[in-house]
Amino acid sequence: MERVVCLDPSPSVCTSALPTASIWQDVLAHAVTGELLAAMNYTSLSEICNDPAEIAEALEHAQNERGHAAAFAAEGRKIGVEVANNVEAKHWKRLRASFLRCVEERDFTGCLIIQEIMLESFALASYSRVGKVGPGTLGQTFARIAAEEEEHIGHAVAILSKERARDAQRFDEKVYRLHLDVMGTLAQMLAKDCRDGHCEVCHASCVKPALFEVSLSAVQLRGASLQQYLKTLDMLGIPGQVTLAWVTQLPV
Amino acid sequence: MNNVDFALIGHQDSWTAIAGVLAVLRGPERAPLPDDEIREIFPWIPPRTVCCVDVNSIAGARASGVYIDSFIPPDRLDSTCIRENLARVRGAAANAIHAGAKIVSLGGFSSILIEGDFDQLPAAQDTVFTTGNTLTVAYIVQGVKKMCALNGRNLGNSTLLVVGATGDIGSGCARCLAPLVKRVLLCARNVERLRRLAAEFQTDGIQVEVATDLQRFSTQADVVICAASLPSPALLLGRIARGAIVCDAGYPKNLSPTAEMPDAKVFFGGLGQITGGLKFAPDFRGILNRHPFPDVVHGCLLEGVALALEGRFEPFSKGRGAITPDRVAEMEAIAARHGIYLAPLYNDDGPLEPQNV
Repeated sequence: MERVVCLDPSPSVCTSALPTASIWQDVLAHAVTGELLAAMNYTSLSEICNDPAEIAEALEHAQNERGHAAAFAAEGRKIGVEVANNVEAKHWKRLRASFLRCVEERDFTGCLIIQEIMLESFALASYSRVGKVGPGTLGQTFARIAAEEEEHIGHAVAILSKERARDAQRFDEKVYRLHLDVMGTLAQMLAKDCRDGHCEVCHASCVKPALFEVSLSAVQLRGASLQQYLKTLDMLGIPGQVTLAWVTQLPV
Repeated sequence: MNNVDFALIGHQDSWTAIAGVLAVLRGPERAPLPDDEIREIFPWIPPRTVCCVDVNSIAGARASGVYIDSFIPPDRLDSTCIRENLARVRGAAANAIHAGAKIVSLGGFSSILIEGDFDQLPAAQDTVFTTGNTLTVAYIVQGVKKMCALNGRNLGNSTLLVVGATGDIGSGCARCLAPLVKRVLLCARNVERLRRLAAEFQTDGIQVEVATDLQRFSTQADVVICAASLPSPALLLGRIARGAIVCDAGYPKNLSPTAEMPDAKVFFGGLGQITGGLKFAPDFRGILNRHPFPDVVHGCLLEGVALALEGRFEPFSKGRGAITPDRVAEMEAIAARHGIYLAPLYNDDGPLEPQNV
């Protein structure tokens, strides 16, 4: 499998004059990590596509996600921080492993569900919140990329809705199986505090307790992410009472 | 699209109630969510169907429906959250339309927020809405009469106070009971609306007094209906007669737990009971309808159920201040035909009727 990104888990120094720079440094680190993971996922997805147009599309998506990562890293430099990333961090690694299982099974639909429904819902909701409070171009970049992720979701919903129309029960069972795997990890990642140890992305201690200093909160980001996820599942046509039970059963 | 007969739109009135709903959804094998997690996650849940509801009529009819929660948090019912809550009610209505419901009842604050103006809801060709307020009025009035009978009171000698008198439910109750009592006291915030309502009664020779402040009435009431749209139980009645009969018809409840009402006979009004059979899937019996008796549901929701069982898919209750005694009689007859009657009376201390105590 092609190596698509340079992994850089090394801690970095904050030399910014912006008092909240070290918080943004971690927020950006999570965003860059997520984008790089998405780029890796799309590259892997291209390897199971048969149609040349699908291959090209997956690789284009991968390139876009690398562009997002670069844009976030550039925002870090603007405020005087070096933005690290770590796709090997424990939660991200598990998310990647879930995706690769679908790749191994050549399960194109499963790959789309994980990347474009679950992970993109999380990205869209989080980026939108950050976009509202981020200073200057940092906020604008988050808002712009959130809009692009929303397009990804819309694109995936169009494809997956057709897939669901063929066999709704089978489709819903697949989403549920992937939900248990992926959303359980995301729920742990989004928990209001990292009870099971350091996330391996934040450059020092966990950024979550400090988010209030930039008008964010872990609770808000989790809530917005779950809300977006439910709305995306609604768009797919999965009954609301079913997805409500799924979400309420997630670990906290 | 499920094409159900009816949809019931509601919201929970306490965090305890919400915890109960979430515990059912999580299932017995998972630990209940901690209270702080519930308060943090719940407000983010978009309106959606919580369960399916099947109702049987004693006349043999059956109706299938859904309960849709707007997920309005109980501590966000106040006026500062109107825009957010209206969006939730609209979202819940869109869910009902999507489910193919032929008739939709709006429970609690859902109808208060839109004030009976269905133009605020998403347009729908095959779905009609009803506030359900006519059947609520019917059960409040029936409850007052029953409570008077239980306590040996003569309604004809009574002074009736209606708090929230210019609201849809308050004005409906006043119209039904004013001709039966000695004097009527009407209390609400809007003076103009109060005067208009009082004028209706004065032309019929009914003694009526209005005030925006409960302390301003010249006489004490011995029958009280609390039908104010309060976001939390905060009403202190103050000057009412010792031993007064008090109907708390609010959702959430109107009366403050600290209200001092010596010897008052308080009961919760506006509730009906389905006797032909009620099933929830998943099983939310006693969770969504937390009452000391089985199959008890708020009148506003039951109106949609009764109309569905009757096959009358029409916006029976709409607007504000249009509930008349004739319409109330018509609605309670429809409900009774299908075995939906006034629920046994109770309050926080338990059942009030001798056979149920």
